[in-house]
Amino acid sequence: MLFKKIWRTVLMYKTQFISMIIMISLGIGIFLGFNVEWYSIKENVENHFEVTNFADYRIYNEFGFTEDDLIKITENKEVKRASRFLAIDTDVKYKNGKTITLAINENEDISGFIVVDGEKYNKESIDGIWLSKSYAKANNVSVGDKITLIYENVEFKLIVKGLIHAGEYLVNVRDETQLMPDYSTHGYGYISPKMCFDTLGFEYYPQINVLSSLDKSQFKDIVKKVFGKTLIILSKDENVSYAGCKGEIKEGKTMGSILPAIFLFVASLTMVTTMHRLVVKEKSQIGTLKALGFKDRRIVLHYTFYSFMVAIIGAVFGLGLGHIIASFILKPSGAMMVYLDVPDFKLYMPDFCIVLLIVMVLSLTLIGYLSVYKMLKTPAAETLRPYTPKNIKKVFFEDIDFWDKLGFGAKWNIRDSLRHKSRTFMSIVGVIGCAGIVIASLGINDTMDAFLELNYNKAMLYNSKINLVKSVSQDNINNLIEKYNGDSSASIHGQIEDKAISIDIYNLENNYVRFNNIDNRFEELKDNGAYISLRIAKEFDLEVGDSFSITLYGSDKTYMLKINGIIRSLSESVVITSKYAGKLNLPYSIDTIYTETVSNEIFLEDSILNVQSKQALIDTFDRFLEIMNLIITILIIIAIILGIVVLYNLGIMSYTERYKEMATLKVVGFKDKQIAQLLVGQNIGITIIGIVLGIPLGVIILDYLVISLASEYEMTMVLNVATYLICILIIMGMSLFVSFMVARKNKNIDMVEALKGID
Amino acid sequence: MKIIEFENVSKIYTNGNNILKALDEVSFSLEEGKFIVILGPSGAGKSTLLNLLGGLDSPSSGKIIYQGKDIAKLSNDELAEYRAATVGFIFQSYNLIPTLTVKENIMLINEVVDKPFLAQEVLKEVGLLEHMNKFPSELSGGEQQRVSIARAIAKNPKILLCDEPTGALDSETGVLILKLLLKMAKTYNKTIVIVTHNQNIAKLADIVVKVRNGKITSFKEQVPLSADEVEW
Repeated sequence: MLFKKIWRTVLMYKTQFISMIIMISLGIGIFLGFNVEWYSIKENVENHFEVTNFADYRIYNEFGFTEDDLIKITENKEVKRASRFLAIDTDVKYKNGKTITLAINENEDISGFIVVDGEKYNKESIDGIWLSKSYAKANNVSVGDKITLIYENVEFKLIVKGLIHAGEYLVNVRDETQLMPDYSTHGYGYISPKMCFDTLGFEYYPQINVLSSLDKSQFKDIVKKVFGKTLIILSKDENVSYAGCKGEIKEGKTMGSILPAIFLFVASLTMVTTMHRLVVKEKSQIGTLKALGFKDRRIVLHYTFYSFMVAIIGAVFGLGLGHIIASFILKPSGAMMVYLDVPDFKLYMPDFCIVLLIVMVLSLTLIGYLSVYKMLKTPAAETLRPYTPKNIKKVFFEDIDFWDKLGFGAKWNIRDSLRHKSRTFMSIVGVIGCAGIVIASLGINDTMDAFLELNYNKAMLYNSKINLVKSVSQDNINNLIEKYNGDSSASIHGQIEDKAISIDIYNLENNYVRFNNIDNRFEELKDNGAYISLRIAKEFDLEVGDSFSITLYGSDKTYMLKINGIIRSLSESVVITSKYAGKLNLPYSIDTIYTETVSNEIFLEDSILNVQSKQALIDTFDRFLEIMNLIITILIIIAIILGIVVLYNLGIMSYTERYKEMATLKVVGFKDKQIAQLLVGQNIGITIIGIVLGIPLGVIILDYLVISLASEYEMTMVLNVATYLICILIIMGMSLFVSFMVARKNKNIDMVEALKGID
Repeated sequence: MKIIEFENVSKIYTNGNNILKALDEVSFSLEEGKFIVILGPSGAGKSTLLNLLGGLDSPSSGKIIYQGKDIAKLSNDELAEYRAATVGFIFQSYNLIPTLTVKENIMLINEVVDKPFLAQEVLKEVGLLEHMNKFPSELSGGEQQRVSIARAIAKNPKILLCDEPTGALDSETGVLILKLLLKMAKTYNKTIVIVTHNQNIAKLADIVVKVRNGKITSFKEQVPLSADEVEW
């Protein structure tokens, strides 16, 4: 019988019931959504790395490794497996501008791939290529098609034998300036060592990939022992694919922590208030049940079950919503799935989310239990009387003159807000949460935009970047520099202690490339010192004026560099001028020319590997930002929905509690519009307080998020004035919308009913 | 002079299949400056009558003429203006705003009335000047009702409408309230309509209207007794 009453209670307070479920669902949904997102990336990617035996270390030697070298490495019992490896950048014949990284791998049990279409990998194949499925899809290539690849005048005539996903090329970018893969122009493929040997006529493996559980310094010692000199060793953390995935996971974790937690917090707190009010409203019913002789236990059970129902339905919907959000971010056509080239992406939920779900259901149920338990402690006779809120008392500021100057509406609203403290507090918390989330989310966007502006539009003053082939002669380089009035640079690999870094040597006559320092001002490169990236400075605790030593790969010679400045950089690099490199006697050869000439006016001659336009770089960055923008959009939309539900719920509560007062005003002669204005006025006040407190909170959150994300981008927090205004507009708009939704109800106030005396 | 006129006014409430005729073709008119008591058992329709008089509700049929206009035809906003300018309500349950002080409860009418009496002035009249900064919950029932009277008077309305104004009070306080009402009506020259089932109150009236089953059963002018002459 009490069971029947449950449904009636649900129906009677359907606004509360529905809004509580929506709040819980949204809170849980966004929390699960973001956490399922990063966890799914982690699981899928780790799985893919494992299945394809992603190498732990890559050893480089530009003179190539012999079979003996490989055996010597493999002989070490700490090395599980190793393979000689070669990757070359080839152009696709007849398809101008399309490139494919061709991988030749002696042992497919390391740095391998999985075939998703066509025949399985054949070591002996002399005409087959196992091509990236994503490239094939973007270029309408199928199994059986012919494809010809050109590498420095050598042609590889190939037949597509299979379509693959390779762990090694999980994040398949042409070079480190390209942040986002673009499979329509760049792909990867594997051919057999036999095919490579047949075409080139010689064997050349500048790389050995190694599976080993040793840490880097141990592994370095082994390599040094085997080869007798320092070689470039890159751990998987220094690999684009691995680091890119880790970056996405970290980013997802960051986004999945504080912001969704705010949602959960606001939703739970509002649930407390709503349950309390609901029980309060049911006060006389509870009294009746008690008077009828129902045991407390059954009454408690009744209301506890009610909140349990809210919790369980909210949790189920939240679970669904979370998976919808995650699959929306990870949709196959979305930026994330272009970035991470894995087959059959599946969603995984982290274990702590299950714990969270259980804790949420239990604590929400407990909220219901506690709400009614408190009420039951009073005797039946007391409970039978309807609820009367606490009597109002004067507040300190009423003695100030200004209080008397306030209009009746302001006084009424302020006293009402103070009388129903928990309701007011919750409304403010709701607005704070919303404003905070909106500011932080929009701020990420601002920060990214500013970052793009600074690092691309302002720091790169060239239009095209010409990448040179390795074998180019100094004469050719000089000709090109002269022809295109270019600046030039070279990158060499080295390390600080154990850390692989790149040393970028610039010769800037035209200042086509600029470097911004930590104060976000452009640093003029001087010829007497080095400029290190912020991350390097932090990692090795270096400051301007300090000196540090680097070693170059392939030699044991160390060079001492003095720090002239600290710069923000996309890559972890040391930047020096060519003159300083000359002073240091650093060996280098120019590999890049920067020019104002637009890319399609640059004649592709033999010494030019390819030409990249600045716009193309910006486009990939924009595409890269799509991932973040999607997350931001979801956050803002959910924040607004949650805000609307929380405020509507509390608005209805306020409306109900002031019903009689509004009826009185109506009797006295207030028009509906005037009463509506009073109601809206209270909400505006609460919203202003919420915004004033919420914006600083948002800034704090943004600061935290930017710091958490900064390791990857070296960004500085930026918030535009417009963003503050947009946030204020969004929150105000939301609050006004809710206010009007509630206020328009006052037309239906039944004065006669409301003001009936007690008979 | 006639202040308000009812012509064939009916009020019908429907609740599912139940039809309740709260007022059935009622016609009468009220004279300005008189003290009218509407008497009847509960459910007779006397409160409905008062609510229609006060513009809290609209009749199902018939006309209610005030200053040549049928208030039954007014829009919601016009009705609000009518209530603001014409009537002052006094309820059994006081209906003060709990979050406003006594003074503020009276001053709130400044929002709807052009030339109200000063709060201090009416509070002095009802003898509550020293309590004007208290909240309603700090006052006794009788005091709260006096605030409610002060508020109704401060509007300077044409008619004071009172629905069982002493219903929630002990009889001694009730008499004091009635005396106050009469005194105020005289001081400010107001028409008073009191709805009650208390026969004694009727003795104070210029006109006694008896209501039963939605119809007026009698409409009598009489010579009123003073409150002191009535045995309470």
